Amino acid sequence: MNKHLNLLFLATENLLRHRAKTVVVCLCLIAILSPFITAIAISEGVRGQSLISVNAGADLYLTYDEFGRNAAVPLKYLDEIKKIFGVTRVVPRIIGRGFLQNKLAIIVGINQEDVPESISCVSGRLFENSHEVVVGYELATHFHLKTGDQFSMRCQQRKVFTVVGIFSSDSSIWGASMIFMSFRDAGELFGKQDVATDIQIHTLPGHNSEIATDLYDIFQHEAYRLQDKQMVSLYVKKGFMLKEGIFSAFYVVAFALGVPAILVASGFGLSERKKEIGIMKATGWQTLEVLELISMEQLLISFLGATIAILLSVLWVKSFNGAFIAQFFIAEITMLPRFTLPARFLPLPCLLSFFFAFLLTMVGSVYSSWRSSTASPVVLMK
Amino acid sequence: MIRTEHLCKSYSHSSQYEIRAIYDINVTISKNSFVVFNGPSGSGKTTLLNVMGTLDRPTAGKVFLYGEEITPFSDIALARLRREKIGFIFQDFHLIPRLTSWENVAYPLVPRGIGYKERFERAKLLLEKMGLGDRLDHTSEELSGGQQQRVAIARALINNPEIIIADEPTSNIDEETSVQIRELLNELKARGVTILVATHDAMFEKVADVVFKMKNGRIL
Ligand SMILES: Nc1ncnc2c1ncn2[C@@H]1O[C@H](COP(=O)(O)OP(=O)(O)OP(=O)(O)O)[C@@H](O)[C@H]1O
Ligand SMILES: [Mg+2]
Repeated sequence: MNKHLNLLFLATENLLRHRAKTVVVCLCLIAILSPFITAIAISEGVRGQSLISVNAGADLYLTYDEFGRNAAVPLKYLDEIKKIFGVTRVVPRIIGRGFLQNKLAIIVGINQEDVPESISCVSGRLFENSHEVVVGYELATHFHLKTGDQFSMRCQQRKVFTVVGIFSSDSSIWGASMIFMSFRDAGELFGKQDVATDIQIHTLPGHNSEIATDLYDIFQHEAYRLQDKQMVSLYVKKGFMLKEGIFSAFYVVAFALGVPAILVASGFGLSERKKEIGIMKATGWQTLEVLELISMEQLLISFLGATIAILLSVLWVKSFNGAFIAQFFIAEITMLPRFTLPARFLPLPCLLSFFFAFLLTMVGSVYSSWRSSTASPVVLMK
Repeated sequence: MIRTEHLCKSYSHSSQYEIRAIYDINVTISKNSFVVFNGPSGSGKTTLLNVMGTLDRPTAGKVFLYGEEITPFSDIALARLRREKIGFIFQDFHLIPRLTSWENVAYPLVPRGIGYKERFERAKLLLEKMGLGDRLDHTSEELSGGQQQRVAIARALINNPEIIIADEPTSNIDEETSVQIRELLNELKARGVTILVATHDAMFEKVADVVFKMKNGRIL
C-alpha cells in the first residue's frame, strides 16, 4: 500500500518536474475533449427538453400528409373527432415560423381555452382578445418589448399585435423565441382559414388503437398521418442521433489531427525519460514498478486534462452559449435571439472522456513503457 | 563470492564484424575484498563491471554470485538482486536531472514503500557523511562534479549493499576529493562490503587487495 502511495506521490512530482511536457499533453487533451463534451452536453440538453415537451403533450398528433411531409389539417372534421369514444380533448394548433425584423420567431396559435396549464407568464397575462400576444423572454429582451407595447409583423398578412405578457426566462428554448397568440390571429397572420398545422388529441388510456380505427373511417379518403407519443419521441431521438452523427463526422477530422499531436507531445523528452528509467532500473526498481509509475502519471494527467476540459465546456456553454457547436444541434441558432442554451453534463460522457484521455496518453507512453520493460539498464542509460 | 567463467560480451554492428568488448574473462572475487580493474580506455572495464553487476547480459559465459549462476535469471530476479545486494557508482554520475540531492539519494527507496520522512532522514544521514549536509536541497545541476559524484555514492549506499561497483569513481574529480572517495571506499570495505572499482587511477592500486590489468577486452 505504502509503495503505491509513494509511486502516486512520485508521479505527481514527476508531472511537476516535467512541467513543459505536462502542459503540452494537457492542452492537447483539452483541445480534443472539450468540443466533444460540449457537444454531448448540448445535445443531451436540447433532446431532454424536447422529450419533456413531448411527454407533457397530447397522446395523438394528427396532420395531413403532402409529399411525405406534415401538412395542414382542415378543421371541418373537428366535431366528428370530438365525438369519438375515448377522446377527452381535441386541440387544433397553428405552429409556424416568422421573422420579427431579422430574428426568427416561433408562432404558436391556440384557442384560449386550450392553453396548457403548464404555461406561466413572468409578467402580464395571457391573451384574451384578438391582436393580443404573449412573447418569449429572449425576443422581448432583444427588442425591448414590455407589456402594453405594440409591434407589427408580416407573414402573409401584416398584423399589429399588443404585448400583454412575457414568458418567464426559465421556459424551454422553444419558449424563448415564441410568439403566442389566439388560433384565429395566427390563421390570419399566415393567411389560412379553417386549417390547423396539427390537431392534438388527448385520449383515455388504452383506447388509442380503437380511436385510430375511428379516425380512419373519418379520413379514409384523405392522406393523413397519425402519430402517437412514442413515435414522436422516437423521431426526436432519431433526429438527435443524426445531428450527433454529423457532428461526429466533423469531429473525427479534428480528432485525427489531435491524436498525432498528443503522441508527439508524449514523446517529447523521451531520451531524458529513457535515461531516467535506466537509472531507476539500475538502482533496483522492478520493471513493474516503473510501469506502475508511468501509468499513474498518465492517469493523473488524463484526470487533470479531462477535468479542465469539462470545466472549459461548462464555460463554453454558459458564457459563450456553445459558440460553433450549438448550431449543429439548433440549426437556426444564429437567427434566434440569444437564449440560455440547455445543456446537461451527464456523468457518463464525463467519465468516458476521462477514460478516453487515459487511453490516449497510455498510447502515447507505449514506447517508453515498452522500452523500460525490455531493454537492459545499460542500454537505457546510454 | 563473484566468479566468472569464460565471460564474453560482444557488440555486433553489422552482420560482418563484431566488437569484442570483453573476451574470455575468468575471475574469482572473494567476499570483502577490494578489487581494482585497471586498463587503458576501451579495454572493457565498464563492460565487465556492467555484466558482473547484472546491468547487462553477457553474450557467452557465466556469472556466479554466492555460488549461484545468475546468468539465466529473469529481469525481475536481477532487479531484486540489484536492490538487495549491489550499489552502483557510474562513470558519469547518472543523477536524475532536476531532482534535489536527497531525492536522488532516496530514489531507490521509493518503490520499497518507505515513507517520505524516513527516506529523507536516511538520505540526509548519508549525505552528511559525504560532507554534503548543506546541499540536501540542491538539484544536480547546481552541484560541482565532485559533489555530484558524492551524491551518486550516497545513492549507491542507500540500500546497504553488500557489493559496491564503482566505474571510474574519481575520473571527473580533483585530487583532494579523490583521496576522500578512496578513504570512503576503504572504510566501506572495513565494514564488510565487497568493492569493485574500474579506474585509470594508479593510486587505487595502493588500497586494493587485488588488481586486474585489462587490455583489449582481456585480463592480462
Ligand atoms: N553499446 C556499445 N556498442 C558497441 N560497442 C561498444 C558499446 N559499448 C562499448 N563498446 C565497445 O566496447 C569496448 C569496451 O568499452 P568499455 O566502455 O567497456 O571500455 P572502458 O575500459 O570502460 O573504457 P573507458 O576507460 O574509456 O571507460 C570499446 O571498444 C567500445 O567501443
Ligand atoms: Mg568505462
